[in-house]
Amino acid sequence: MNDAELINQILNGNSNAFTYLVTRYQKLVVHITGRLIQRQDELEDVCQDVFLKVYQNLGKYRNECRLSTWIATIAYNTSINYLRKFKKGVEVNADDSVALRNLTDFKSDDPEKADLHRYIREQIELLPVHYRTILTLYHLEEFSYQEIEQITGMPEGTVKSYLFRAKALLKEKLRFVVDENSLKSVKEINNEY
Amino acid sequence: MNTKELEHILDQSFRSKPDFHLPDDFARQVTRTVVRREQWKTDLFEYLYLSCVLVFLLTVASGFYYFIDKQLVLNVLTYLSGNVIQVALILFILNFILFADRVLLRLLFRSLPHPLQRSGERVGIL
Repeated sequence: MNDAELINQILNGNSNAFTYLVTRYQKLVVHITGRLIQRQDELEDVCQDVFLKVYQNLGKYRNECRLSTWIATIAYNTSINYLRKFKKGVEVNADDSVALRNLTDFKSDDPEKADLHRYIREQIELLPVHYRTILTLYHLEEFSYQEIEQITGMPEGTVKSYLFRAKALLKEKLRFVVDENSLKSVKEINNEY
Repeated sequence: MNTKELEHILDQSFRSKPDFHLPDDFARQVTRTVVRREQWKTDLFEYLYLSCVLVFLLTVASGFYYFIDKQLVLNVLTYLSGNVIQVALILFILNFILFADRVLLRLLFRSLPHPLQRSGERVGIL
């Protein structure tokens, strides 16, 4: 069943079709919401809120973008509003210096790849909200720059810049395992910002 | 480690799924919540529709009797206008019973947790 048929079924009152839509898109929503709010205990409520908004606004969906992009936009806005409302301490627009302070150095001369992988995943969670969001949307959900622009409202240039800087920040923290040439290029990137 | 290797590990890490999970029956839970929240609108519409049908039938019956026995209808109207408070009270009670039956009680029962949920079992497996 394609998205248009699914929407028609839901608008005609088929609750099973809505269950199917939730099942199809819950991973997308949990990835975006999870990366933003980072609290497993609050995740279910926020995700439920996202799908309630999807249901209430489904009649307004006009096929101008993919349904996944539209749902991701709702998930992003709901999560950002939730952060602004309930997490007063969270800096939604933290800059790179704050991000660098938050990240921890990787200090192993002979790292196992699995260690490195785990370390990077932990560091992603410590990046500023917008960096985490963009990384998730681009790499994990494979949205295009234009789609990320639609979802987050950030200009395409900002999206590219955030992706680049997030990677540069992580590379900076991995300087102990990178050879000299790579380190030089990382420093050049960081000097630009 | 060279840049290429590092880039590869970074890309792999970026593509790995975060450790956040939803319950297995999340979709069913959301659907139940949506149905519960939206059903009252249908119930209210049904109640209003039924009320209109009853008023319409009463008007048609009155009109019918008016042509058969005009005096009877006039007597009924005189009686009703002479006992306005009692008539209004009875109409209010009847209307409330209909409203409670069609909207309030359904809303109340839907907002209560499912009996199996209360006893700790999962409804999703039914």
